[in-house]
Amino acid sequence: MIVRLFTLTVLMAAFIMGAAPRGAMAQEKLTLLLDWFINPDHAPLIVAQEGGYFARHGLDVEMLEPADPNDPPKLVAAGKADLAVSYQPQLHIQVAADLPLARIATLVATPLNSLVVLEDGPIREIADLKGKTIGYSVGGFETALLGAMLAQADLTIDDVTLVNVNFSLSPSLISGQVDAVIGAFRNFELNQMDIVGEPGRAFYPEEHGVPAYDELIVVARNDRMDDPRFKAFLRAVEEATTFVINHPEESWQMFIGRDAELDDELNRRAWADTLPRLALRPAALDRGRYQRFGAFMKASGLVDVTPPIDGYARDIEP
Amino acid sequence: MSAAVLLRPVILTFGLLSLWQAVVWISGAPPYILPGPLAVGEVLIAKPALLLRHGAVTAAEIVMGLTLGALFGAISALTLSASRPARRWMMPVLVISQALPVFALAPMLTLWLGYGMASKVAMATLIIYFPVTSAFYDGLRRTEPGWLDLARTMGAGRFAVLRYVRLPAALPAFGSGLRVAAAVAPIGAVVGEWVGSSAGLGYLMLNANARMQVSTMFAALVVLAAFSLILFFVIDRGVKRLVRWQPDA
Repeated sequence: MIVRLFTLTVLMAAFIMGAAPRGAMAQEKLTLLLDWFINPDHAPLIVAQEGGYFARHGLDVEMLEPADPNDPPKLVAAGKADLAVSYQPQLHIQVAADLPLARIATLVATPLNSLVVLEDGPIREIADLKGKTIGYSVGGFETALLGAMLAQADLTIDDVTLVNVNFSLSPSLISGQVDAVIGAFRNFELNQMDIVGEPGRAFYPEEHGVPAYDELIVVARNDRMDDPRFKAFLRAVEEATTFVINHPEESWQMFIGRDAELDDELNRRAWADTLPRLALRPAALDRGRYQRFGAFMKASGLVDVTPPIDGYARDIEP
Repeated sequence: MSAAVLLRPVILTFGLLSLWQAVVWISGAPPYILPGPLAVGEVLIAKPALLLRHGAVTAAEIVMGLTLGALFGAISALTLSASRPARRWMMPVLVISQALPVFALAPMLTLWLGYGMASKVAMATLIIYFPVTSAFYDGLRRTEPGWLDLARTMGAGRFAVLRYVRLPAALPAFGSGLRVAAAVAPIGAVVGEWVGSSAGLGYLMLNANARMQVSTMFAALVVLAAFSLILFFVIDRGVKRLVRWQPDA
């Protein structure tokens, strides 16, 4: 009995001592895998780090840039990293493939993906795409987007020729190898094309039959939802987002302060185009949006199942 | 053919598959990172038409790349061995051509040659060209001096020496180059497909990866590995037949 009481006391002491310094003393490490090299889409994350928001919430965040945007969610699912930046459409596919993932935050709350053509090219409306060649970079999802957009003009995927151009979206369009590309980011590729003197025109999927979705989200393992570091992370990201919106120029200075290489014309323009699309309430979850998009993915044949939303999208109480 | 010869591939295949499964078990890798051989086998059985269709495209690219690469490699090696200025001017260019990662050149090639088969054949040719040139040139340089002396004593001209002495003597080295080429040719073709394509195993792998169909991606890898094996052994056989006068030690 005495032994047991002693053990209990030690356990309780350990628990209290373990719990008390949380956030107060040592910074807690957190690994965050980005989806791609650092770009203005990551504004809230970079500002949270450079502006000291993570540190103020007791976090020491390490950000890593992958070579393949499909890898980070897999690594988080396998428990090799805490958080990953990913895309809502990919989340639906990953969850249907049994990856134990759940969205905990939204960074960019509108689609960025768009169908882009040359501004002075022959394609004025979607119906003009009949018989044309279209480049894409992410198999499956982007062809589904395209299919839904074509359907609005009474066309199908079989009315066009598809080419996977992987990373060369703007080059393949500018060089005339393809007549249109799907998968171009409206805040990025459009600026890229404009800078080299070949302006493009975007058709927005959410205006052409595709339900609106969150382009950029943060995912975690779905069995670690009560990790206290995630709450701290969400609060830091929200504060950083508020700062970005209120002080765009100062935020830009923080962004390029991280690496002088980031300071170029393309990033400067993309920065301005990205800010209005940032999620002002990163932790907030629009459940209907996920349900609608899940249904779209299923109707497109990209996923066989649409699991209950609580399994893969959460809003953690901060 | 003895039973051992027939059994060997069976034992090898089984051994490799067991090793694969053991790695899955020991590392505890989840199926979305490393699927087991059973899951991949299921895809091979369930989607043979898909794999065959894309495999045929890649196989064609590999064979054409291998043919062109071997041809250009042989011509380059002969030029190098025949002319001193060619050696001085071409050697650095050859080395540079090999130092550039094909990944960096791939987008350029697709822009010049389009997204069809030509850009992939060019990529495979490029990756094969150097090992063939380098091995064959080495072989041409290292003719037994005694043979050359003998040929000259017997009054052979430059062309006759090449035709009857140096060329046959360099064939084993040419064979080594071809064997390396057979093993790396699929990489060239797949890199080409990776950068832009509408068909082929690389294309299939890209799409499967984006759709989390990791078993399909590995099934494509298995088909690709099978190509390499078949090519390697076909070329190995061919080379052995060609240099029958020099049996394996």
